[in-house]
Amino acid sequence: MTTASGEGKERSWFKEEFGSPERRTAYYMVLPALLIVLVVAFYPVLYGVVLSLTDSTVTSFGSFVGVENYVEMFQNPDFRLGLSNTVIFTVASVALEFIIGLGIALAINQAFRGRGLVRAAILVPWAFPTVISAVMWRLMFQDQVGVINYVANAIGVIDGPILADDTLLLIAVIFVDVWKTTPFMALLLLAGLQTIPGEVYEAARVDGASVMQRFFRITLPLLKGTILVAVLFRTLDAYRIYDLFWVMTSRGLDSLSTFVYEGVRISQLQFGPGNAAAVFIFVTAFAIALFFIRVLGMQTSTEE
Amino acid sequence: MTGIRRERPGTPEARRYSRRDFLKVGGAGLAGTALLGAAGCGGGGSGSGNLVFTMGTDTSGTLQGLIDKFNKENKGKLKVTYREMPTDTGQYFDKIKTEFQAGQSNIDIIGGDVIWTAQMAANGWVLDVTDRFPKSEQSKYLPAPIESLTYDDKIWGKPWFTDAGLLFYRADLLEKSGFSEPPQTWMELQEMAEKVMQDQGIKYGIVFQGSNYEGGVCNALEYVWTHGGDVLDGDEVIIDSPETVAGLETQRGFVTDGLAPEGVSTYTETETDPAFLGGDTVFARNWSYMYALAGTSDYPDVTPEKIGVTSIPTVEGAPKANCQGGWNLLISANSDLQEEAWEFVQWMSAEPAQKERALSATLLPTRTSLYDDPEVNEKVPTTVVAKTALTNAKPRPVSPYYSDMSLEMSEQFNTSLKGDESPEAAVKTLQDSLQQIVEQAS
Amino acid sequence: MASATTTKGATGRNTLNAILFYVFLVIFVLVSMFPLIWIFKMSIITKTELFASPPTLLPANPTGADYAQIFADTAFQKALLNSTIISSATTVICLFFGSIAAYAIARLKFRFRNTVMTLILALSFFPAVAIIAPLFVQFSQVGLIDTYWSVIITDTVFALPLTIWLLVAFFRELPVDLEDAARVDGATTIQAFQKVIVPLAAPGVFTTAILTFIFAWNEFLFANTFLFDENTQPVTVVIPNFATIYTVDYGAQAAAAVVVTVPLVIMVLIFQRRIVSGLTAGAVKG
Repeated sequence: MTTASGEGKERSWFKEEFGSPERRTAYYMVLPALLIVLVVAFYPVLYGVVLSLTDSTVTSFGSFVGVENYVEMFQNPDFRLGLSNTVIFTVASVALEFIIGLGIALAINQAFRGRGLVRAAILVPWAFPTVISAVMWRLMFQDQVGVINYVANAIGVIDGPILADDTLLLIAVIFVDVWKTTPFMALLLLAGLQTIPGEVYEAARVDGASVMQRFFRITLPLLKGTILVAVLFRTLDAYRIYDLFWVMTSRGLDSLSTFVYEGVRISQLQFGPGNAAAVFIFVTAFAIALFFIRVLGMQTSTEE
Repeated sequence: MTGIRRERPGTPEARRYSRRDFLKVGGAGLAGTALLGAAGCGGGGSGSGNLVFTMGTDTSGTLQGLIDKFNKENKGKLKVTYREMPTDTGQYFDKIKTEFQAGQSNIDIIGGDVIWTAQMAANGWVLDVTDRFPKSEQSKYLPAPIESLTYDDKIWGKPWFTDAGLLFYRADLLEKSGFSEPPQTWMELQEMAEKVMQDQGIKYGIVFQGSNYEGGVCNALEYVWTHGGDVLDGDEVIIDSPETVAGLETQRGFVTDGLAPEGVSTYTETETDPAFLGGDTVFARNWSYMYALAGTSDYPDVTPEKIGVTSIPTVEGAPKANCQGGWNLLISANSDLQEEAWEFVQWMSAEPAQKERALSATLLPTRTSLYDDPEVNEKVPTTVVAKTALTNAKPRPVSPYYSDMSLEMSEQFNTSLKGDESPEAAVKTLQDSLQQIVEQAS
Repeated sequence: MASATTTKGATGRNTLNAILFYVFLVIFVLVSMFPLIWIFKMSIITKTELFASPPTLLPANPTGADYAQIFADTAFQKALLNSTIISSATTVICLFFGSIAAYAIARLKFRFRNTVMTLILALSFFPAVAIIAPLFVQFSQVGLIDTYWSVIITDTVFALPLTIWLLVAFFRELPVDLEDAARVDGATTIQAFQKVIVPLAAPGVFTTAILTFIFAWNEFLFANTFLFDENTQPVTVVIPNFATIYTVDYGAQAAAAVVVTVPLVIMVLIFQRRIVSGLTAGAVKG
């Protein structure tokens, strides 16, 4: 009984979906984009998982070796260093970007003269190709021609060349990322702020709420949706960072992505662990996204 | 899809790299995109008497001239096309590697970095020329390039041009502080540098390339070799030795003693030039090209008269060792025209072609006789001032997994130079990881 | 800012606030712009001045030598051309597939609409580095390595979520009545799309095109993975390795960075309103 009615139901929706010419057109229209995405992005992920479970190299498809590549990957000190650098980088840069970005958004959430200029200043770092900004900042941190290295040493903030010290280098990388993406964060948050109707604040003020109270009781809760979207995007962006580490540290400092790149693209022998790390990044990035959506209750619906 | 892959029937290599099974698994998903790619595939190739020769971008612009000359001499018989490759040797190798791995290369002759031989030979990409290149012929070339072409007791190509790490010194400054001769040992170098720095207020004693890259490996290996250490003995990894540790300690010592700038662990050739030619440093380790930059408009103060060039110092009683660089000529095992390709290699490595390349592009020849050629001596002064250093250079370890070994070495050498790890610890780590690479390889 | 009804004391405080506010703005603008300004300075000074310590604040002898050098450099010209080809092709292909799909998602009713949208948007969470190895293997097999297509295909795929997201938002803002009217007149869905939606959506499509173009222009990972050759490499790959056989020329590198960035900055300045509306579309939903 149940199967029969289930089948009947299925057939009816199938008929409804593909019987109607308008709906068929809809499917034809999304199909090309969907196919490209499936073939060029999702299929390679599955293929990457297969590669990570074999002893394949770039040139030859190997035999199944179980989780050997994953074991080797976790034993590799470069991987562990890349992982910790990536985590530190992600947490620090996103936190700084959020705090500074929110501050800027609150400050410029009003009409003032010179707004266009500020908006332009916001967009300039964002529009920079990341690698080019990495090249530029590296030149400024360098110990022979670098103005920042010179000034920082002259006023005694640091003692020694920035690029030759791993800790300073990581701080420098975080700094450049903050420079580049804080404005973008501010822009998103500002757009969110502008959707909060002024009357809400007016009413709160009449009720005698202080500035702080208004911020924590009104602004933050109403901004939650925007904040989650912005922070999730930035977190995933930071987590897969490649170009900044690759160019700015000139291979001196590993991130997860540069570890993968070195393994699969530079080395002849690290193809397996490199692929394992690629799958690792994919799975953990997915987990981060799930965390935001499930635990923090981010809205993902595309409906209005 | 198979229509796009250009396999050469009859060559075993094409078979070996065709990997049908692999294609089934991997390529299936991309069948659609393959159609788009067909238009992008390179043309050219070896027809009757047409040869393809690859080499990195020739900044001097003289290579094409030489090839034209060859084509003219062999008109109606042979025609060589120069296919330009990336200047960066790493990118060039990537490109060659990918083409050979995909089994779709149309290359006949390869101008290849000296460190590529073993890897290309082990993969069956290049032709064994042992029979065509007898010992009697080999003796006309410098020993290091020949050694760099030898793998598995066979020889895989002919030497083209060479290079070596050299010690540049400010003869004028040394003289002012009372030294008439350049240092022979590291100890002497340190003494001289310290005295000059103190006497004349010079900022640094020595600069070199300490960054985490291939050049950093060459630099560190010079310290290792001159202290009596080495990387490989046959297939055995022997890097963990007191000699190696002593070498790295000397190198690190230059930083801790304030002779070398602290940033030297991030330096490549780019940073070395201005540090030495800008007048801030007494000694510099660099490749021979730097000599030609002295006194040019970028560096007007330090003229060629003020500098001297010599071998890398050593420790008392140990042999000299300058790290060898340079390029060889190899023939693709896939080539249909191996005889013709060999003819081109012969011509290119012969004295007249090498001499012309030396005169027009100031590249160092591999033919021993050219080091006594007055014209070459005049045009390329390093062939006089650094003759012994250049002719006695030492090649880097020859291994089919050299590129992986180099990655490990550059990382550990750099760690030790920065002081993040002691030389002992770095060498221990290196012994293990190199051992692993050698084991994986066999 | 100061409203007309404030008292005198409040005005005083407001003036102080306003000054602080503008000081903050000036610092903010300076920090944002500083690297570009400094790199421009590095690009117009001589090599001797470049390596001078302490660094000079203003250029002593401005020279255009570095610019002359890079514009005479065929490799750099080629890289600019490659970047333009790759970004333009990506933009066109992306808009073509993206607008068709976005129209269906925004306007037509079908069962799997949300599934499709989620699948495509999931791509923006996608670590691209996870697929470079499989793609490299597959591209090698079909001979796509070191061709424009290798990067155009991957750039297109990773720009699609952004493109579709933006276009869906723009299409939804368009009045439905017009299409219905067109359909009453006997137009098919496709015709309604072509005749009514496309012209009306032009501003939105244009904004999307700018953002897609910038995305492709700035892309580095795929280009650095699939392209090895001066004949195909875009500026993002060429500039970090701006090298002769041994050394990187810092002055030329700085000049090249300026050349590559200035068009983007100009574009951003001209279209800032549109770009801001595009960037924040969809991200903010009440």
